[in-house]
Amino acid sequence: MNWTKRYPGWTMFGAMVGLLVFLWGLAIPLSAAPAPIGPAAMQFAEGARITVWLTLIAGSVGVVLGVLAGMGKLSKFLPLRWVCDFYVWLIRGTPLLLQILFVWLVIPTVMPASVNLSDFACAAIALSLNIGAYNTECVRAGILAVPHGQIEAARALGLSPLQTFMDVILPQSMRVALPALANNLASLVKDSSLAYAISVVELTMVGYRVQAESYQPIPVFLTIATIYLILTTAFTTLTSALEAKLEVGQKR
Amino acid sequence: MNTSTTPTPIIVARNVDKRFGSFYALRNVSASFTEGQVTAIIGPSGSGKSTFLRTLNRLEKHDGGEIVIDGIELNDNLKHLDAVRREVGMVFQSFNLFSHLTILRNITLAPMRVRKMPKAEAEAKAMGLLERVGLKSQAHKYPVQLSGGQQQRVAIARALAMDPKVLLFDEPTSALDPEMVNEVLTVMRELAHTGITMLVVTHEMGFAREVADRVIFFDEGAILEDTTPQAFFTNPDHERAQAFLAQVRHGF
Repeated sequence: MNWTKRYPGWTMFGAMVGLLVFLWGLAIPLSAAPAPIGPAAMQFAEGARITVWLTLIAGSVGVVLGVLAGMGKLSKFLPLRWVCDFYVWLIRGTPLLLQILFVWLVIPTVMPASVNLSDFACAAIALSLNIGAYNTECVRAGILAVPHGQIEAARALGLSPLQTFMDVILPQSMRVALPALANNLASLVKDSSLAYAISVVELTMVGYRVQAESYQPIPVFLTIATIYLILTTAFTTLTSALEAKLEVGQKR
Repeated sequence: MNTSTTPTPIIVARNVDKRFGSFYALRNVSASFTEGQVTAIIGPSGSGKSTFLRTLNRLEKHDGGEIVIDGIELNDNLKHLDAVRREVGMVFQSFNLFSHLTILRNITLAPMRVRKMPKAEAEAKAMGLLERVGLKSQAHKYPVQLSGGQQQRVAIARALAMDPKVLLFDEPTSALDPEMVNEVLTVMRELAHTGITMLVVTHEMGFAREVADRVIFFDEGAILEDTTPQAFFTNPDHERAQAFLAQVRHGF
C-alpha cells in the first residue's frame, strides 16, 4: 500500500502489465492442473478475458455516463434534471438481471432488422447503463464537494462556465468521487457474471459448464473464485494507485 | 481623489440595491471610482462592504440600480460579464487557489484559457509575477505546501496575470496569522503605487490610513462616509463611524 502511494505511476503500469500477463498466460499453469481444470484451461482463460472486456467497456462507458448524468442532475435546466433523475431512479430501482434480459430481448424487437446486436454487446450496454447510474451519484457528490470558493475564483478570473467545469470542478470532484467509482468498478467485475443469463460465455458461465460436464463443482468453483479475486485485486490496485496520483496537493 | 491627472471613472455604481430574501444587504449605494485610485472600504461585519465588492464583478447579482465598469454595463449579458471579468481581478479572504494545480499552473491557467496566451509566454509572465511577490522558488509546489501569507501573495500574482485594470480585495488579510499579515500588506502597498485601481475591503486600519486615497465606511447596507483617510480617521462625521473607530482603535 505504501509502495502504491509512493510510486503510483509504476504501480498502475505494473497492475496493467500484470493483468495482461495473467489473462494471456493463465492457460499455461492451468493446463498443468489435473482434470477437470487442466483440460478446460483455455476455456477458463477465454472466460476471464470476456469478463475483463465486459468490465473495461462497461466501466469506461459508465464513467462517461456518470459524469454526464451527474452534471445533468446539477443542471439549472429542469427537463435535463428530470431526465437524469429518471435514469437513476429507473436503473437503481430494478434488478440488473432484469436490465440485461430487457436489453437482450427488447432491443432486437424495436431495432430495424439490419441491426444485429451480439449477446456480448447487449450485456455491455446493460452493464454500462447500470454502472452509469450508480456512478452518477458518486460524481454528483464529488461535484458538490468542490468548495464554492474554487468556482468563484475561476469565474472571477474570467473562465467560462465550461472552462471552469473542465479545469477546476471536474478534476477536483474526481478526487472525491474516485474511491466510490472504484467501489463500483470492483462490483462490476463480479456483476458482469450475470451476463451468463443471456449466454455470454464469461468466467462464471465457463465454470458452470465445466462443472456440469465433470460433476466436480468444488475444484471448478474454487478456480473461478480465485481468478475473480486476482482480477479484482488488479483493478483495485489500479484504482488506488490512481487515487494516490490524484491526491497531489491534497491535505494530508 | 485629488490626483493631478484628469480623473476618469472606471467604476460607476448608481443606486445599487441587493437583497437576500427580505434582507437588504445594499440600499441605494452610489459611488464612482477613478482610475488609479486606492479605496479602503471599511465597516462593521454584515454592513454590506463585501457584498458591494462582489457585485462589482457580479459574483453577486445586484437587484436594482446599475453598475458600469470601464464603460461596460453589468447585466445578464454574458459577453459583458466576460469582458468585465477580464478587466477586474479579485483576491479573496480564503485565497481560493486551485488546490489541484501547482502554483505556476494556478497563475498560467486564466491567461492561457481566457487570453489564449501560449504556454511559454504565460509561464514566463507567471515567473515574473512570482518574483515580484517574492515566491519564485515556490513555483512548482502545491497550494497546501505554502503558508497562508504565501498563498495570498500567489493569489495576488494570479489576479495580476490577467493584467486587470481593477483589483478587488475582499478582506485579504482576515484569514491570516498575525505574523503573515505584513508580507501581504507589503505586496499590496507596492501595487498601490503602480497605478492600478484598487478597492480593498479591510479591517487593517493602519493600511487604510497609510495607503488608501479614499475611505468608504459602510453601515447597514449604505455608504455612511466617503472621504479621505485623513478626514475619516481624525474626524468622522457620523456617530456610527466614531463608535466603530473607537472599537477598532483598541488594537493600536
